[in-house]
Amino acid sequence: MLSDVEYFEIREVLQCILHTIFFHRALGLVRPKDIDLQLFEITYVQCGDAELEKKVDEKIDQFIDKVEKHPNKKNQICLSFFEVKNKQATWFTHKVEHLYWEQWYININVAQHPKPISGKSHHSKLVLDPGESASEERNARRATLESSLHEVLFQIIKFVNEKKDHIPPIPNMEGVSFPYEITISSSSDSAFGMDMFKRMLQTGHPTMLS
Amino acid sequence: MAVNPHSEPAKMEQIITEFFAKSLHIILESRCPYVSSRNYSGEQILYSPSSSASSSSSTRPRDKWFNLALRDCPAALENIDFWRQSNLEPMVVDVVLVQRPLNWDYTSSSPNPRVAFERNSSSKDRFPFVWKSDSDEFGSDGSTEKIIERWVVQYESKKGCKEACSGSKRSSSTSSHALYKKSILLLRSLYVTVRLLPAYKIFREINSSGQIRSFNLIHRVSSSVEPLIRRDEAEMQQFMFTPVETSCGKLHISLLYLPSISDTTSESSTPMSPQFIPDYVGSPLADPLKRLPSVPMPQYSPSSSPFGRRHSWSYDANRASPPSALPSPSPSPTYSESRTLHSKFGNHPHPHPHRPPTSSSRYPSLEIAQVHNKDMGYDEYVPSPNFSPSTSPSPPMYLQGSNMLKVLLRSDSAPVYIPTSRLGDAPLSSNKTVLPFSPPHKGTRPCLSLLERSSSALQGAKLLKEDHSKPSGVKISSNSSPHKSFSRSCSRLSFEDSYDDSEFSGPFVVDDDELIDHGIGSRPGSSDRSGNLGTPHERAVGALVQMLKKAPPLQQDLNRSHSLKQIQIQDPPPVAASNMAASSSSSRVSPVKTTSDALEELKVYMDMKQLLLRQSGKS
Repeated sequence: MLSDVEYFEIREVLQCILHTIFFHRALGLVRPKDIDLQLFEITYVQCGDAELEKKVDEKIDQFIDKVEKHPNKKNQICLSFFEVKNKQATWFTHKVEHLYWEQWYININVAQHPKPISGKSHHSKLVLDPGESASEERNARRATLESSLHEVLFQIIKFVNEKKDHIPPIPNMEGVSFPYEITISSSSDSAFGMDMFKRMLQTGHPTMLS
Repeated sequence: MAVNPHSEPAKMEQIITEFFAKSLHIILESRCPYVSSRNYSGEQILYSPSSSASSSSSTRPRDKWFNLALRDCPAALENIDFWRQSNLEPMVVDVVLVQRPLNWDYTSSSPNPRVAFERNSSSKDRFPFVWKSDSDEFGSDGSTEKIIERWVVQYESKKGCKEACSGSKRSSSTSSHALYKKSILLLRSLYVTVRLLPAYKIFREINSSGQIRSFNLIHRVSSSVEPLIRRDEAEMQQFMFTPVETSCGKLHISLLYLPSISDTTSESSTPMSPQFIPDYVGSPLADPLKRLPSVPMPQYSPSSSPFGRRHSWSYDANRASPPSALPSPSPSPTYSESRTLHSKFGNHPHPHPHRPPTSSSRYPSLEIAQVHNKDMGYDEYVPSPNFSPSTSPSPPMYLQGSNMLKVLLRSDSAPVYIPTSRLGDAPLSSNKTVLPFSPPHKGTRPCLSLLERSSSALQGAKLLKEDHSKPSGVKISSNSSPHKSFSRSCSRLSFEDSYDDSEFSGPFVVDDDELIDHGIGSRPGSSDRSGNLGTPHERAVGALVQMLKKAPPLQQDLNRSHSLKQIQIQDPPPVAASNMAASSSSSRVSPVKTTSDALEELKVYMDMKQLLLRQSGKS
């Protein structure tokens, strides 16, 4: 989804995306909190739930960690929402089943430092003129990233509005959000993203990993 | 999801109503600039210090709707109240960017009241003023207006809704629960979206800096869609939220917005904005469209700046077109002041040059009274002292007795308005503002107006008075300083200070107080005026005396003598003029007096007349 994200931009990009999703899935009473990105001219909204923020930040830390360790891999972060079904506890110890009803996959193509690897970016760079000054290039790249981030946010909004029927009834919530989990995976397979995305949406794919 | 067939429609309707309210709140909250800057973020932090979102201890009922707690937004609240009543009408919210010319002169141009107007007026009142889109480019002081966002929230109800709802349908999609849930989602999206749109940057810009910007955001809420002009529409991009379907209809939120807001706000000094916008727009139309806004702008912003400096009132006066009456807003803090200014000078076509009493006093007629009346309508609370100071403390003018206009000015100013305040106490049925102007209407009947005011019981006396007062006017015309004596006697309020009345005595002074002076020459009067007028007046006196000699015997009735003398007055124009002045001044002044004063005066007049007649008879 997002390419040419520089290392230091990962955090903001992920925060922005994840929280925007959460804002649409945390259907309990929220006091929205506007957050201005430092690196981009984008304002996104958080639910105003400190616990959620903390969790998201933790996951982002993990992700960045992973990116550091495997710089050449496609990195993916997955946000899943599920319902908790209490299986009639029988003789199995497995009492709780996670019924996933939605999963969001965020692929980030992290730029290599000296020269960004523009993978299959749909925002292909106009010209990579070696004579271009570095700062100009950086600005252009930043602007491009900003616009794709913007686009991603609108995609989220669109998706959230188009598909509403699968959302379980809003429980009397203790927490703000539906139960969720954030998973991180990385793969060198470039085609991984979309296929997985579709498949996961169709079949709930219980992952106990946390 | 058990559905109670009876309460379901009511629930649905309530949800929809609240949905409108919440949508409006969300939109305006992020488009309507605050008074103080940036305090809202702090407020937000206070709101959510911890994971207290679910703790509803401090939750207001309004926040619970759709599980979305919003900050207060007065502008939204005031519109919401209105919308609760006019349920289910479409709601159109236009967000308008107002820009002043780049080098707009903040100090010389009067702040514009539109913002206040837009905000303060109730929604209904506002509708008539919704812009024609063609005039978007013009504010009244050269600032430009552009609709940058148009939100339409509406509920499309299906036919047969009632039956469907009251029937015991219970599929999940028709239930109010489902509607509510989907509404929550839609509102969340709306909340996020308003912050992603370009207009939000402007909003932030305005809020975030203490400095005055050359642009501002205003909003207009209406229930009807004012068509946009084609050019605007072509520039705009549409964004549709997927409607929320209910058993009874659809809840829509759609948006038209300008994907790029012209460079004028690049005051924001964001080097990035010009770069990301093309990408963001993305559509093939983007580039040509992006140019468009900048095409019309330059002619207003940089080049038209000299014209943009017009004072709002003069501008308004010069422009006949309706839009001129609606000045564009400015973010200046002096809304209310500017508003009064505007109503004083801008709204009505008679700016202050017209209002000095000069014109009215010269033609003490009804039409002038009307004009003034009109003014007073606008300036109801403008204290009359505004008028008098300009004229009454002007002894030099007054001394130029031959200048009728100035005399009138003098006589009109203070005497007229000072009575005004007193007349307020009079048990009169007529309009206060009219009263001061009625005396001039009867300029030759000094005390009539007073009598009119006092009571109808004095009708007879009035007639009598009228007859006598007119002759007195005649006599005045025949002496050199009638207005002096009159004004002194009647309007010492304003004149005694600057004017030593002992100096003013005419050969034929008919003043009620100063019969002693009668027959004494005007020369002793040390003022320039009396000196100047002495000769012509004396001539006039001579003429009058001649006329009186030829006049019918003393036994003639009052009316006849009165009419005869009026004719005489008109013979020597300068004298007549001063006579008019005198009489009108006295008439204006008369209201100060009580009825008994007037009667006394009448008696004096009668005596004077007798005396005069006797004299003329003797000679």
